[in-house]
Amino acid sequence: MKGKIQIQDHDSCGTGVLFSKNNEFNHSVIKRALLSLSNMKHRGALSYDGVTTDGCGILLDIDRKFFQKKLLEEQNLILPNNFSIAVLMVQDNFDYKKKFSEICSKFDLKISAERELNVDRNLLGELAKKSCPRIIHAFISPKKNNDTENLEVSFFKIKKYLDNNFCAEKELYCVSFSAKTIVYKGLVHPDVFSSFYSDLADERHKSASSTFHIRFSTNTSPKWHLAQPYRLIAHNGEINTISGNRNWATARIQNFKSKHLGDLKDYYPLINQKGSDSSSLDNILELFTLGGINVGRAARMLIPPSWQNTDLMDADEKAFHEYNSMHMEAWDGPALICFQNNNYVSCFLDRNGLRPARIEYFDDNTICVSSEVGSNEMKGLKRIETGRLGPGGLILFDRNAKELLMNDQVDKKLSTSKPYREWLKENSKHLEANLHTYSGPEMREVSEKYFQQSCNSFLLNKEEMEMLRVYAMESNEPTGSMGDDTPISPISKKIRSLYDNCRQKFAQVTNPPIDSLREKSVMSLETCIGPELNIFEETSEHANRIVVNSPILSHKKFNLLLKNKKFPCKRFSLEYRESEGLEEAILRVLDDVVKSVKLGTNLVVLDEKQSSSKIPVIPALLATSALHNRLINENLRTKCNLIINTASARDNHQIACLIAFGATCVHPWLGLQAILKVSNNSMDLSSNELCVAYRKCLNKGLLKIMSKMGISNVSSYRGSGLFEVIGFSDEVNSLCFPKNDSLIKGESFEDLHKKNMLSISFDGSDDRVAKGLHKYKHNGEEHAFNPDVVMNLQNSLKSGSFKEFKNYSSYVNSRKPLAIRDYFELCSNNKPINLEEVEPIESILSRFDSAGMSLGSMSPHAHETLAAAMNGLGCRSNSGEGGEDPKRYGTNLESKIKQVASGRFGVTPHYLRNAEVLQIKIAQGAKPGEGGQLPGSKVDSYIAELRYSKPGITLISPPPHHDIYSIEDLAQLIYDLKQVNPKALVSVKLVSEPGVGIVAAGVVKANADFITISGHDGGTGASPISSIRHAGSPWETGMYETQNTLLQSNLRSYVRLQTDGGLKTAEDVIKAAVFGADSFGFGTAPMIAMGCKYLRICHLNNCATGVATQQLRIINDHFLGEVEKVQKFFEFTAHEVREKLAKLGLKSLEDAIGDTSLMILKKDYKDESVKLGFDRLLDRYRPNKKQSNELKKNLINNSLSDESLNNLITKKLKTNLAKGKGGSFNFEIKNTQRSVGARLAGDIAEKFGREGFPEKIILNFKGNAGQSFGCWNSKGVELKLNGLANDYVGKGMNGGKIVITKNKHLNQERPVLVGNTCLFGATGGEFYATGVAGERFAVRNSGAKAIIEGTGDHCCEYMTGGEVIVLGPVGNNFGAGMTGGFAYVFDQDRSFVDKCNKDLVSFNRITSQEMEAHRSYLKDRIAHFIKETNSNIGNEILEDFEKYQSLFWIVTPYAENLSRIIRKTREDAA
Amino acid sequence: MSSNFEFIDIKRIEPETKSIKVRKIEFEEIYQTQNLESVKEQSSRCLDCGNPYCEWKCPLHNYIPDWLKLAQIGSIHEAADLCHETNSFPEICGRICPQEKLCEGACTLNTGYEAVTIGQIEKYITDKALSEGWKPKKLVESSTKKTVSIIGAGPAGLACAENLIRRGVKCIVYDRYSQIGGLLTYGIPEFKLEKNIVIKRREILEELGVEFVLNYEVDEKRMNEIEKNSDAIFLGLGTYESIKGNINGLSKDGVVEALPYLIKNTEYLMSEEDAENIDFRDKKVVVLGGGDTAMDCVRTAIRQQAKSVYCVYRRDKENMPGSVKEIKHAMEEGVEFLFNSQPLEIIGNGTVRQLKIGKTKLGKADGSGRRKPVLIKNSEKILDVDKLVIAFGYEADPQSFIAENNIKVSDRGLISLDNENYKYQTSNPKFFAGGDMIIGSSLAVHAIAHGRDAAKEIIKFLET
Repeated sequence: MKGKIQIQDHDSCGTGVLFSKNNEFNHSVIKRALLSLSNMKHRGALSYDGVTTDGCGILLDIDRKFFQKKLLEEQNLILPNNFSIAVLMVQDNFDYKKKFSEICSKFDLKISAERELNVDRNLLGELAKKSCPRIIHAFISPKKNNDTENLEVSFFKIKKYLDNNFCAEKELYCVSFSAKTIVYKGLVHPDVFSSFYSDLADERHKSASSTFHIRFSTNTSPKWHLAQPYRLIAHNGEINTISGNRNWATARIQNFKSKHLGDLKDYYPLINQKGSDSSSLDNILELFTLGGINVGRAARMLIPPSWQNTDLMDADEKAFHEYNSMHMEAWDGPALICFQNNNYVSCFLDRNGLRPARIEYFDDNTICVSSEVGSNEMKGLKRIETGRLGPGGLILFDRNAKELLMNDQVDKKLSTSKPYREWLKENSKHLEANLHTYSGPEMREVSEKYFQQSCNSFLLNKEEMEMLRVYAMESNEPTGSMGDDTPISPISKKIRSLYDNCRQKFAQVTNPPIDSLREKSVMSLETCIGPELNIFEETSEHANRIVVNSPILSHKKFNLLLKNKKFPCKRFSLEYRESEGLEEAILRVLDDVVKSVKLGTNLVVLDEKQSSSKIPVIPALLATSALHNRLINENLRTKCNLIINTASARDNHQIACLIAFGATCVHPWLGLQAILKVSNNSMDLSSNELCVAYRKCLNKGLLKIMSKMGISNVSSYRGSGLFEVIGFSDEVNSLCFPKNDSLIKGESFEDLHKKNMLSISFDGSDDRVAKGLHKYKHNGEEHAFNPDVVMNLQNSLKSGSFKEFKNYSSYVNSRKPLAIRDYFELCSNNKPINLEEVEPIESILSRFDSAGMSLGSMSPHAHETLAAAMNGLGCRSNSGEGGEDPKRYGTNLESKIKQVASGRFGVTPHYLRNAEVLQIKIAQGAKPGEGGQLPGSKVDSYIAELRYSKPGITLISPPPHHDIYSIEDLAQLIYDLKQVNPKALVSVKLVSEPGVGIVAAGVVKANADFITISGHDGGTGASPISSIRHAGSPWETGMYETQNTLLQSNLRSYVRLQTDGGLKTAEDVIKAAVFGADSFGFGTAPMIAMGCKYLRICHLNNCATGVATQQLRIINDHFLGEVEKVQKFFEFTAHEVREKLAKLGLKSLEDAIGDTSLMILKKDYKDESVKLGFDRLLDRYRPNKKQSNELKKNLINNSLSDESLNNLITKKLKTNLAKGKGGSFNFEIKNTQRSVGARLAGDIAEKFGREGFPEKIILNFKGNAGQSFGCWNSKGVELKLNGLANDYVGKGMNGGKIVITKNKHLNQERPVLVGNTCLFGATGGEFYATGVAGERFAVRNSGAKAIIEGTGDHCCEYMTGGEVIVLGPVGNNFGAGMTGGFAYVFDQDRSFVDKCNKDLVSFNRITSQEMEAHRSYLKDRIAHFIKETNSNIGNEILEDFEKYQSLFWIVTPYAENLSRIIRKTREDAA
Repeated sequence: MSSNFEFIDIKRIEPETKSIKVRKIEFEEIYQTQNLESVKEQSSRCLDCGNPYCEWKCPLHNYIPDWLKLAQIGSIHEAADLCHETNSFPEICGRICPQEKLCEGACTLNTGYEAVTIGQIEKYITDKALSEGWKPKKLVESSTKKTVSIIGAGPAGLACAENLIRRGVKCIVYDRYSQIGGLLTYGIPEFKLEKNIVIKRREILEELGVEFVLNYEVDEKRMNEIEKNSDAIFLGLGTYESIKGNINGLSKDGVVEALPYLIKNTEYLMSEEDAENIDFRDKKVVVLGGGDTAMDCVRTAIRQQAKSVYCVYRRDKENMPGSVKEIKHAMEEGVEFLFNSQPLEIIGNGTVRQLKIGKTKLGKADGSGRRKPVLIKNSEKILDVDKLVIAFGYEADPQSFIAENNIKVSDRGLISLDNENYKYQTSNPKFFAGGDMIIGSSLAVHAIAHGRDAAKEIIKFLET
């Protein structure tokens, strides 16, 4: 179908497992699981019809008696004892029976009985009803007597057969097939699940364990078979590495040999290559467990904890993990997996603890592990203990032995089951450890002539030399600013590096990026070399590997590898004869390598080196990727490693490309040679030191690129192909990038060969080779904001004449194609109309926004000028992420759009309440996958005050929002924002990339009103240059995908789409509208109107035009920005839009939106456009009825707000609020009641402003609080909860108090009381809890004071202010990125030293003489804590403070000063 | 370590000029030599803009921010290498370009901070590098057996030769004067560009392999011969015909044209023996015109110890075409400017005695965008004059061999480049041309740009 977008499934959800510790069958296990589903429906999503969910379901033990009774009742049939149940989803007209019994009888199985479930379809939503299958239970018995284990293997093969041969959507899908477990699932609303599946309501139906799941999928049209649980697992989260995992699963297929499983050849692929990531994980877990791997080891192999960088792990356990890592890369990403089969119940969590996993122990001997606490709370049932799974956590219940093991206990058992440590010691070899034995040559400098020749042939120019110099000298990437305004490489007329055709993928919303710097403890580049063996066997031979700590090799390590004695090594030159041609040459090399690997070569070295200036070389990128794929197809990939001796890959992006396309290791010889040249000019550093620094910088960069996809292990990144590959023809793609599905095509082998020939004959000064890629160079790469454009625009605005402005716009519109839109022109069959008939300028202007640019990156003067200009025109300005001066609220200087970004700078209830639009910045066009940066030099006292930080300290926003690790988290944040400011529209800013349409669909279902699709060319105030250049796609493709995906899924009319990224003229505006945009964001153009000259020095704080600096001496004397000039730009543009509409015969811009008949390919570039594939961008997916652009009321998830406790609170407090009178109120609370307190905070902010409520309001709650309890709490409000709370307690708290005390039934010391990411972005207030918090406590706290009895990992991360007192154990990585505030930690087991991240903080004991003030302050605080909570632990410590004081640490950022802290704190308290 | 605020903290400082007293008598460059420290300091003021407006405005698109950065860290030889990537004679451009109209005029800092002293640093880099033995490298040893002949050793011809030889193409340069440089040598007085600079260049070019045939007036016959022995020919003959202006009495004694005046003075200074001298000592001198040549004339007259020197110009100071810094220098040295003054009649019996001038005001802009001066009635005034120099500019005067070789020229006598195959190719494919003779009298920097670009085109032409 035209414009139909291929959709990949992503999902995230709420999940859990409830089981009996005695393995007792009981109906309440089922009933409570269903209750949990119902109580976590806010974690799932609804489709446009408001009833169809994305799916929910439960997995149960087969209750044999129940089914026997059922069949007797229904069919008067007596089932044999020995039956298994296959649950089938069958589409109406599909005759499954013959096929199914055929395959069963192949395994000597017969269908003894069948029952088609009598389901009530009237309960379903429109969409679910349409696709609802028949649901059939087939009762299968062996023809002869077989033992059960073997049966499960037969069932596995039958499932594989069915998966591989029938279409799940149209024909047949096997939901579960087992003698022991059964799955009920579907697109059913959880509230009616047991009415739909009446089996479940039947009180006779019992189970000892049940796994439940409710789904939120970004997938646009939900499907029955994709509901979870799968056959063994339910999964909440995302497998970020799925593409690599699937490739490796295919590559490894021959290593899956188990006597249990027998021959599997007929059942390939064993791991599904499409469908959802969760189903692939289910596949491999089933394969592993049936193949004889213990589920604990399987879990540890697939989702290992981070063992590489910790000093706290037992050596045997470390060896166990290292051994596993040699044969399996991690399935990485936020994940809580609930697993259930006959023998085990297990739950495990990813290495970084990115999903909540709370454990509850009840007095009826049941245990529940799930995404939220309190979801199956029932009358009379008492919770006696609570806990949680931390990062890499694992709980394993052996159902036969009735033994429950946690984390270390499991690892202990597994790691001592085989002599792993010994095996490693004997067989594996760490390369660096043997460095001293190396006697080969140091890297010698090549001759100047050869170096120059190589530079020319492999396109290493001066600009890059300068960049490499910074790599080596500073061991850091150079920083730049503004956007990438050059054409993407397929459009460029210059010869560019092939790596420019690879655009880095990045995670947004569905799977978050991680922070590779602050959370480096979870990152690893360790690389194993050597052939892989059968995964089902465990022998010492399996440990025979060479290990290197990074895939980027030094010259020495490269030589050591070449000379190693373990594995045969062979070098292959990539040179080829001109007459041979590129394609033939690649095929020849592939054949040679395959032959050689078959003969036993383990290390394949591809040499990208040129022996003479006449001989062309196959680009390493193409060779590596083609070879990787060929080796997979030949089942040889795991037998060998690819080592690339490369000249073309020198920076981190290039090297990441090679690794993502299959390279095991990379030796960037030309890069290292360039560093040797640098060292000739360096007095201070030796060449060796510089090379080390260079590689260190590359390592950092590689980690950064991996972390953009949320991947922490290089082994999971390798071969993942996580790049959008653009600019190659289908023939190149099919040989080198077979999985590539980019919309942008391009060059053939012939073209590439020609370019290759050209580049080897250059003399270095040729204009055909691209230069000036970052900064403009004459005759270099084109720049959209080149000096002519800037000067034309500024001069036309100075003159104020529309005629001159049109000179500017026609100059821009007639440029040589530089963006995709330049290949199109507007056209119409309509007769032109008079200008007067076109809608007035005001209605055009109302569609114009300024793009988010923070105060801080811009000077206050520029920021205010822009706001005033936009407000004056009826447009909206965007505050950016740096907060806003409250003085501007309500005046013409306020920003109507207020941004909420990952750093949450200055995000207070007051700020949020003063917005028309709240924009959640998920990613920014200039550097998607990374957070904003504000260099310290720009943080003056004013900026610091607004951002609640310290002057002079660089502010880096985290790459992810720490409260969004999954799509349902975004839904929650949107819910939070709508609670605090119900009138505001919520907008979500995404960056264009393949798949953004699907993300957008999810965002609509998460209840957003606006979606911005930014192009890759967006600007930034500061960013590493490689990030500016290599990530993100043009907005045209993103908009095309988004528009079509939303149309396809009937979601388009629920949301307004905006685009931004380099918009300059009216023509850009109308073209964007045709692509689907309703509104338009302008960033750079209005900046230039204010005097910006595109100097790209924003990050240095010395912007001479006064736009992007905080230096008053510059701003006062040289800032020329005028409101009028900015307004002129928008008015002129809007006016020109009207003129163009008149010409097109359209009365309003509305008529142009999404109408692709208004655009055709420009004649002059038609062939080129077709070659690049741009003609397809005019395709539109059209549903049967005409798309209406009218905005509908968003019904999706709307029903949820009725439950809001906030409504009740608002009602009860109405009079108090109106009069500013305090009071005390009591409420019951349950987990479905979320963001409690937010509405009140918003109302207070509206009425009383920044100062908060004048008196004291006390709200007492009993029960289990839903997510975001007390978020954005306001001054004057005290929230007291007796019970448990979920994630995000006190998020964004600005004042007041939150006190959480444990319920009297909880007898345990230090119970887990609150979930993850509490106090995230808090700007003030107090927090006390008599228990432990989850991960990321007080992340980005900038003012709150908290006392708590223990925390998980990453406590106090990025903290810039406030204080945190932890009276108990903390997790790893304490204080990472912390630059302000301070913390006291009670370190009873003396493990803190290893847990603290020492990059930015120091820690001291408080026992010394000069710490007197701290001791007394701490005592005061603990006393206060006891007063608030009556904490036993607090009491104990205080009573014997003399004894305990020596166990305290005070943690302070280097930026802080100890004595100043205490003085300041005392002052604040006074 | 840079502070990023050098552009404010450090003031723009040009090298000091010598005292007026010395300047008034010496035919030597007026600037004191700079020292490395001040060059480093001044180059550190560069912002290294993302859009380098200096580079964009420069006709040669010199990599200005890049070599300023090198100068800042003292890598003078690397800086010189980089200067020579885009410019054949950076030290000459550094001296004679009107920077305030080009690079320095476009400099981002020229909006109230004062531009970086680009010209002075450019001059320093090459001077310093050359004095330390640095030399421009050949890019290609030898690429072809073909020969290119270049007619005219002015900036266009020399730039073309420099580019050809560094790219391995043999070339022979012909010129009618005894020294190379054309107007660089003969038209520009020593106090702006000392002759040893050009002589040094000659050494370098010869060392690279350029062959000069000097004192060689190319006529039709000689052209035939050259044509036969060359694979391509580049014409860079300039425009030497003075524009006369519409005044009565131009033929009187004591009226001289600017160019012969300057050339003769230079020849005399270079070798007193066999050169004719026009000496204005103790004379009342009036120069007509407002361009750089007029400035050269007035300043030459000052140094010849003229009694008084007046410059008469039709428009006001702001509208003078000459380089602002030259006007400033002239004023410093004692030249009196009569702005808004139009020469009406040269009075004198056979020999000039007086000049009648009238006052003007500026009227509406004409086609070229400049405001036209309009004479104010009854504003005549008489000036006493001993020597009157006409410096209205030059126009083309095509040599006879041009027509002979079927090279098309325009109405204005400029060579037309209407051949679409190669830039700078004339209607006769073997002939290329550049410099003043294709665009009319203009800046040396344009001529250099033409010569360089033409060389690249010629190489392409020779390869096919």
